[in-house]
Amino acid sequence: MKWAAVLGITFIFVCMALFEWPKLGRGSKKEKIIFLSLSVIGWFLGSMLVFFPNPPGPTELMDGIFKPLGKLLEK
Amino acid sequence: MIEKGKISAFQLALMMNPTIFATALLLVPAITAKHAEQDLWLSPIWAAISGLLTVYISCKLNKFYPEKSLIQYSEQILGKIAGKILGLIFLLYFLHLNGIIVREYGEFVVGTFLNTTPMNVVMGSMLLVCALAVYGGIEAIGRSSQIIVPVVSLLFLVMTLLLVKDLDPKKLLPVMENGIMPSFMGSIVPSAWFSEFILMAFVLPLLKDSGKAMKWGVLSVLSVMFLLVITNLSTYMLLGKLTIKDTYPVMVAVRYISIADFLEHLEAIVMAIWVSGTFIKISMFYYSTVLGMAQWLSLSDYRPIVLPIGFLILVLGHWAAPNLQSLAHFLGTSGAFYMLTLQLGIPVVLLCIAWIQQKFQQKKDGGQ
Amino acid sequence: MRAITFFTKLNILLQISSLLLPVTLLTGCWDRKELNDMAIITAAGIDKKTESTIELSVIVYIPKNAGVGEEMGGGNGGQGQQVLVRSAEGISIAEAISMLQQEFPRHLFWGHNEVFVIDEELARDEDLRPTIDFIMRHPQTRERSHIFISKQKVKNIFSLNPPLERDLAEVLRNLAGLKIGVDITLKDLAEMLIGESGTAALPYIDILSPPESQDKKQTIADIIGTAVLKNGKMIGSIDASTTRGLLWLRNEIELAVVTVKPDNTEGYVSMQLLRAYSRLIPKIENGKWKITMQAKTEDDLIQNGTTLNTGNPQTIHRLEQDLKADIDNKVKEALKQVQHEMNADIFGFAEAFHRAYPNVWKKYKQNWDDIFPTVEVTLETTAKIRRPGIVTEPGAYPEQEVKTE
Repeated sequence: MKWAAVLGITFIFVCMALFEWPKLGRGSKKEKIIFLSLSVIGWFLGSMLVFFPNPPGPTELMDGIFKPLGKLLEK
Repeated sequence: MIEKGKISAFQLALMMNPTIFATALLLVPAITAKHAEQDLWLSPIWAAISGLLTVYISCKLNKFYPEKSLIQYSEQILGKIAGKILGLIFLLYFLHLNGIIVREYGEFVVGTFLNTTPMNVVMGSMLLVCALAVYGGIEAIGRSSQIIVPVVSLLFLVMTLLLVKDLDPKKLLPVMENGIMPSFMGSIVPSAWFSEFILMAFVLPLLKDSGKAMKWGVLSVLSVMFLLVITNLSTYMLLGKLTIKDTYPVMVAVRYISIADFLEHLEAIVMAIWVSGTFIKISMFYYSTVLGMAQWLSLSDYRPIVLPIGFLILVLGHWAAPNLQSLAHFLGTSGAFYMLTLQLGIPVVLLCIAWIQQKFQQKKDGGQ
Repeated sequence: MRAITFFTKLNILLQISSLLLPVTLLTGCWDRKELNDMAIITAAGIDKKTESTIELSVIVYIPKNAGVGEEMGGGNGGQGQQVLVRSAEGISIAEAISMLQQEFPRHLFWGHNEVFVIDEELARDEDLRPTIDFIMRHPQTRERSHIFISKQKVKNIFSLNPPLERDLAEVLRNLAGLKIGVDITLKDLAEMLIGESGTAALPYIDILSPPESQDKKQTIADIIGTAVLKNGKMIGSIDASTTRGLLWLRNEIELAVVTVKPDNTEGYVSMQLLRAYSRLIPKIENGKWKITMQAKTEDDLIQNGTTLNTGNPQTIHRLEQDLKADIDNKVKEALKQVQHEMNADIFGFAEAFHRAYPNVWKKYKQNWDDIFPTVEVTLETTAKIRRPGIVTEPGAYPEQEVKTE
């Protein structure tokens, strides 16, 4: 089931690539690299969340940083 | 310029209204009531100050660097490296915040209406629609908000009017029982919401009539304040102390409407208000992130990165919190300061540095 | 070049397949619930079954008989059951619901449930707050549903066959709407329970005994008074007449006919309430807590069973005094039973003091249970009789018998 989810995510990215690739044209190498690298980051993060559903994320990080101030509003 | 479309200041004001109000409508009354109790209607008034300040800062910065967005002029103000780092921080922040917003949307829809629908589908379909809007550019978002915002605001005011017969003004007494402090504490979270007006710093370069930006920005802040005061007043006059206990007090209030056993079960309208308002809100954040990212990477077009960024927002929406309680708790405590720091604190510092630089520049020019 | 044509072809293919994509979504609409997949609950009630379990009964609307009944008129339709009553046992209401679901081939739908009835035995023995929590938490239940306490077992009440209305849910909802007793919705109850005094008043219902010749089941439940709750448990009840006094104090009086017996005459005079309004004015004087209830009412004379000449302003004035006395008596009775005997502040005195004296209130909040019975209540009632109807002198008495005074 988990692999199916990863497959699904991959499918979404394949669709995105097929939709976007023709529009990028041949000249814009930079755009292609950025498109690909953002996709890879997204794919990687998405698949990671499939296997480890609740890792501490950006919210926990920020919660940690702003905790002293946040305590003021704790009730 | 990456974006070739132009919008008017009036459209900008219309776009910013749901950008604050749509999510503030559902979660904020409960958070405010926890601190301010019966004075909760005062809190949006204090909170609007931060909104006005943000509008002022973004307009002033835009005066110093017309044609440039927040990401671009932070490079000019702080220098190449520090500016790039700050730009990245902003972009990651907006990605994260947009993830949180999408999650709030998903939690509400799944929690109250579509209990068994997977959250991915709810969040994903919304993001897909927003991606299309972002693809269409700022003009598309501006025009859709011109259609959506008046309808949504009118519907909301009608809802409030229908509630009038069930309201009990006595619940608001005694006013300022414990002084001004509780209502002030209650205003911290809404002021974090109000500081989202910093998105104007991304859109101001795209204005046809940037001279009117300040005026319409202020009017937009005031309209949000007005709507929030009305929301808080009517919810508390209806629910009293229960406002604190409900997750979505406004939702409960609208469900309570019953006119002559006939006009009942109106929660579908809240849903409509919420979905269309959130659509504008997510699109605004999404658009600003994508545009900022394209500027940060100096791309020639922002469209290629719309879809990958959309997916990242979806992932971050998932990652934002394990459940609704921790999300609401985060937004009600540390999250408020997190938002205030990035949306109000850093821009204030940027403005000060820019202002000093400008003064030095003038002196130098004058000396020569 | 070849690569580009490949991509254009692929793109056309993609566009066509994206048109087909929504079709795949049609198969799995997770929250799809058609009307004919739902069992619509119109009323729910909880009984105490054994020491540890409760019994949940529900009235479910049967849609297929609704249309037929109207068309066929008397015959089958009138008698035909439009509703179904079912019960299930469980430790908590949540568990009972899951047991109940097993008895239905359709999904239970709570969105139209307008009535909750709680059995007196359960209300007296157990804390109702966990039950209220469940009802509040459920996303489908409505905050506007009316809550009742019933003297009989809810199961028996629900099995009644009301002659006039579709089902008992309809009956109870309309009774609540008429404001004969207190009308408390789920929201009001929750608000009262977390309020300053933690007390609540709920309408108290019983089966109205049908005329002897009729079928025992052909009757309805009616409101016989008010149940008083404190800290989530029922501690007592007051009757219908005392409830009127309670309504006066709560400024909830709406529909009433007051009948008084004037001095020196035989017979009674009845007046109908047109407008009524009351407010509580709290005062703390030398450490004494006082409440003044100001009440104003405007009435129409609807029946004169005496020989008094109601065309005479003096007589009207006298009747106004009697009316005032009647209201005062009812309020005093309510105060005696609820304030002095039960010590439960269902009048909203605590809130009134809190609003008027926020600082004093903070200090004495903890001792409210001791203060409340000692609160002195003064009544300032003004009753006005506006019109004597469309006859002046007693309608059916000869001229010489009418007293002129």
